Amino acid sequence: MVRLEFHDPSGATEVTQAHAPRVAALAGKRIGFVSNEQWQAYRMLPLLKGLLEADFPGIEVLPIDAFPQGNAVIGSEETAALVKASGVDAVVIGNAA
Amino acid sequence: MTNAVAGLGLAPDAAMVTFPIEMFLPGSDIGPVRARKQEFYDGLTRWRSALAGDGAGEAPMLRVEGTSAEDAFARVNHLMLANRWGDGLPLWPPTRERVDWILRGSAQPRGRKLGTFPPRGGVTTVESCAVALAMAGGRPEYLPVLVAVVEAFLDPESGSETLQAASGSAFPVVIVNGPIGARIRLNAGFGCLGPDPQRPAGASIGRALRLLQQNLGGALPGIGTMANYGGLRYTNVVFAEDEASLPAGWTPHGTERHGFAPSTSSISLAFASGATNIRRRGAKKETPEEDALQGMHRMADFMRVPNMAGLAGYEHGAPGILMIPGVVAQTMIGLGWTKTSIREFLWQHSRIPAEALHRAGCPAWIEIDTSKVVRESLALDPWPITAQPDNFVIVVAGGGHPTNSYWLQGYSPGVVGRRIELPASFEGLIAEAERDLGPA
Repeated sequence: MVRLEFHDPSGATEVTQAHAPRVAALAGKRIGFVSNEQWQAYRMLPLLKGLLEADFPGIEVLPIDAFPQGNAVIGSEETAALVKASGVDAVVIGNAA
Repeated sequence: MTNAVAGLGLAPDAAMVTFPIEMFLPGSDIGPVRARKQEFYDGLTRWRSALAGDGAGEAPMLRVEGTSAEDAFARVNHLMLANRWGDGLPLWPPTRERVDWILRGSAQPRGRKLGTFPPRGGVTTVESCAVALAMAGGRPEYLPVLVAVVEAFLDPESGSETLQAASGSAFPVVIVNGPIGARIRLNAGFGCLGPDPQRPAGASIGRALRLLQQNLGGALPGIGTMANYGGLRYTNVVFAEDEASLPAGWTPHGTERHGFAPSTSSISLAFASGATNIRRRGAKKETPEEDALQGMHRMADFMRVPNMAGLAGYEHGAPGILMIPGVVAQTMIGLGWTKTSIREFLWQHSRIPAEALHRAGCPAWIEIDTSKVVRESLALDPWPITAQPDNFVIVVAGGGHPTNSYWLQGYSPGVVGRRIELPASFEGLIAEAERDLGPA
């Protein structure tokens, strides 16, 4: 019998920060959208906004353009600061393909 | 799409609702958003990472047993493919002995962290490079080059974080300058893009980089990267500039682009998304001047296409890498051309008339670009394919024959250089290569 011992080539990964905590329920919450304006986001995100508003009493869904839009700006610290300052409880980010 | 957030230090899963690509196309039926609305709601409320807190720590050693050496070798290769660690070609098992041998080529401690490989975020160390190089059939004397390449790749300036996952099928191009190229048998002449059994260094180094892109970076076709075609990525592109054939006054690429002193062993990393031969010389009774000018026009005309590959590096990157043989460079110099005038000619004559730009729908892409320089370039007619002539990378490489030049279409947000750091034992490693492979 021949035995070969070798390194796992996938290495290790580090988890240095947790994902954002989820909200317990959506009713009465304040929700934001951050859009890159690509991949039909201009149609899909408004549809989702309407669905949230119809399904959850007291929910406040900010306009799709409440924050800067486009790949050029949505990943910036400035946009993140605006999102935080808005007081939203949760954010939906779209669209990727 | 996996790995979307892992490289940011988050657990490598995320609350995502995924749909077939058809829904993201113009005029699509977006009804599935309504039908699957509960998945969005769950993502905001009930979703929990299945991997939070996992994944950190040392990579384990794996064990395989076979009835013979061949059987064990085959089982290792089957395991590599089953775990999506391979590229379909045979791999050398990265045994402790093999990896330790490769690590003799490092000037740095094996555990030195070079960064995290995007987008998956695999922790990348000197040892990670040695593991990949062992798998790719490499040798210790290649390791200093690979480490420098990986450092450049992980530099945010390279754009690798985006290109690793993007659909454009970008592949790294590594240009090596300085004496190390010839010492480790890296091709600069005929067939420098490979394969070349006499000068195999480029294939091993490039393949090792590809394995790192996949195994640490997660760039798996259709899963971790949306690269439509993934062209030329088995070995990427790794070659040396033919410095022995540089015309007088023509500085090496590493000196010109990165400021390294001549004779410094260094690498330069860019990204490309295409590769083509361009016929350079005439076929009848052209004068030398006509021959040179017609060749320049053919190259510029080829670059004057409105597919906007150069947008990725419009401001500081490269619209492409032009490889010309030493004999051509020397002829051009003899006719009064300079590297500067060649660049200026290519820049001027590759400009695209606004009408052609609009006909192809290019303005929309230019308008949404992150760079202000790019957005403002839309006012220019004809439109330059890159912001300035100096962005063109021109290197002397390829066989000593005047018929062809070669254009690696750039897709390169930046061009990143690194010095190559050699271990004290380097000369001994070269001597061992002479023993193993015969005279260089």
